Amino acid sequence: MADTKIIFRIMRYKPGVIDPPRFQEFEIAGRPDMTVLEALDEIRLTRDAGLMYRHCCHHASCGTCACMINGAPALACTTRIADLKTEVIHLEPLENHPCLGDLAVDVGGFFQEIDARWTYHRPCGDASAQRTPQGVDQLLRFENCIECGCCVAACPVVSSTPRFLGPAVLAALNNERRHRPTSQPLLLEIAAGPHGADQCRRHLACSRVCPAAVYPARHIADLQRDIKKLK
Amino acid sequence: MERILIIGGGGTGAALAHDLILRGYGVTLVEKGSLLSGTTGRHHGLLHSGARYALHDLETARECYAENQILRRLAPQAIEPNDGLFVALNDQDLELRERFVEKCTLAGIPTRLLSSAQALMLEPTLHPDLKGAVQVPDASMDAWRLPLHFFAAAQAGGARILPFHQVQALILKGRQVTGARVRDFRSRRANTLAADLVVNAAGPWAGQIAELAGVKAPVRPGPGVMLAVSGRLTNMVINRLQPAGQGDILVPQRNLTVIGTTVWLADDPDRVALPGEHVQRLRTLGARLVPAVAEAPLHAAWCASRPLFSSDGQRDPLRISRGFACIDHQRRDGLEGFVSVVGGKATTLRAMAQEAADMICAKTGRAFACRTAETPLPPYREFLQAHGMPR
Repeated sequence: MADTKIIFRIMRYKPGVIDPPRFQEFEIAGRPDMTVLEALDEIRLTRDAGLMYRHCCHHASCGTCACMINGAPALACTTRIADLKTEVIHLEPLENHPCLGDLAVDVGGFFQEIDARWTYHRPCGDASAQRTPQGVDQLLRFENCIECGCCVAACPVVSSTPRFLGPAVLAALNNERRHRPTSQPLLLEIAAGPHGADQCRRHLACSRVCPAAVYPARHIADLQRDIKKLK
Repeated sequence: MERILIIGGGGTGAALAHDLILRGYGVTLVEKGSLLSGTTGRHHGLLHSGARYALHDLETARECYAENQILRRLAPQAIEPNDGLFVALNDQDLELRERFVEKCTLAGIPTRLLSSAQALMLEPTLHPDLKGAVQVPDASMDAWRLPLHFFAAAQAGGARILPFHQVQALILKGRQVTGARVRDFRSRRANTLAADLVVNAAGPWAGQIAELAGVKAPVRPGPGVMLAVSGRLTNMVINRLQPAGQGDILVPQRNLTVIGTTVWLADDPDRVALPGEHVQRLRTLGARLVPAVAEAPLHAAWCASRPLFSSDGQRDPLRISRGFACIDHQRRDGLEGFVSVVGGKATTLRAMAQEAADMICAKTGRAFACRTAETPLPPYREFLQAHGMPR
């Protein structure tokens, strides 16, 4: 594929230096099938070594490279330039997260509401006895959720009600409830609290933007149903 | 206590920061970009049992197995513990099986022979004509969350972890490295970080860091391509029962299957374009093991530079040792206060840190034993909870 001209407008922010934030334009030559993350690497390596953005695995497993791409939260590593179909690509830091610099945000906020010990595994979907190798207790795989924060960025309730637990935490909480039935009552109590599931207004933006098919809105609906039974 | 400055926020730096904190040192770690973004995080995610190295590098094989067992215990949240298969696709592969099992046994790696029917029972998507298989304790790991466990422990113990800080110069007093000039990309200011000892843990960038001190580090960037297709095609790691080659590893993870990998030698770890033909090559090779790979939608293709330890002039990138070395530049170049950690692989990050920390103890005249193999690690989320990055 031949290289084409691609224009990026990237929100730059350096506290006390580029403050308030402003857009800076970069023009690069790249393949149309290149990803936004590859383009960011190119800009960092050839234009500005100080361009801050988070990235790690480059295949949508770590969840670090989420940012606002043309106004919508998405992973830079799996968003292809060609699929955006705009002449200019706007990149901004993930909404509803404190910005550290440029596109790098602090995701500590929603992690603080998750108990760090909550499981990150689920049984494999096809874990029959015949498929379980000798010596392996149980076939396990990681959770779908890559903790990227896209759902938090998309949620209109989080923007207006910062204390709302938000879709990422509620989805993780509901998962934990399924995995550890003994923790059910306590977890449901948290979800039933004043900042919990009942704050959700069913915009469904969280499920629409989730890059990992977690569908947080379904988890929230689960919780709301069980909370109703409590009352 | 001595202040140690670690350059490089990859897996080695993470494990070393934790190890040095446990031994009582003061630790600052600088990373020019995002943590784990250079090599470790882009790993295909195979937590080696060591079997891949059994035929040609027993020492690495033995070390991988020991570390595999330790990491399963220390960082269970970041491991899918489903074992792996080495699959013989033809008679030539099958002839290798006896020697492969012997070598694994020599390296201490447990194996179990499986008939083709048994293997297909475990993994029905394998090529139906396979001739047999061997089960080994491979696993899948999350290359972001596994090393984050070490960062969480180091941070809780008082280490300063500074991403987006690039080393611009090393400070020399005569023949002694006494710190570094570092650019903070957030404030755009240059700061001086003084240190009693500087550790170069920059992976494939270690050569560039060593040059700042006017010495050489024997490391060669060895980029490779990896491919992820949508769909979890197997539950176990799948390897081809052949001498280690290209496109012969399938690593399941979440809803994906990662296919690794190709390898070549480069001069600059940064300027690595992804060769398009490698993507098709990996898919073709992967489909020999699991035919469904051919039709699975492409999820992502990416590139990463390995830090190959190249001391012996070996030109074949597949045969350059995956071992590692800690280099005391005082002994090698007469430069005090500077140590380079080169080579190695994600599976052996803790062992590399142990050897580097042992060297630092010897150099600083302290006799603290390594405790990282037994000391439990906090959950990875604690690192992000404390604060994902310095405020």
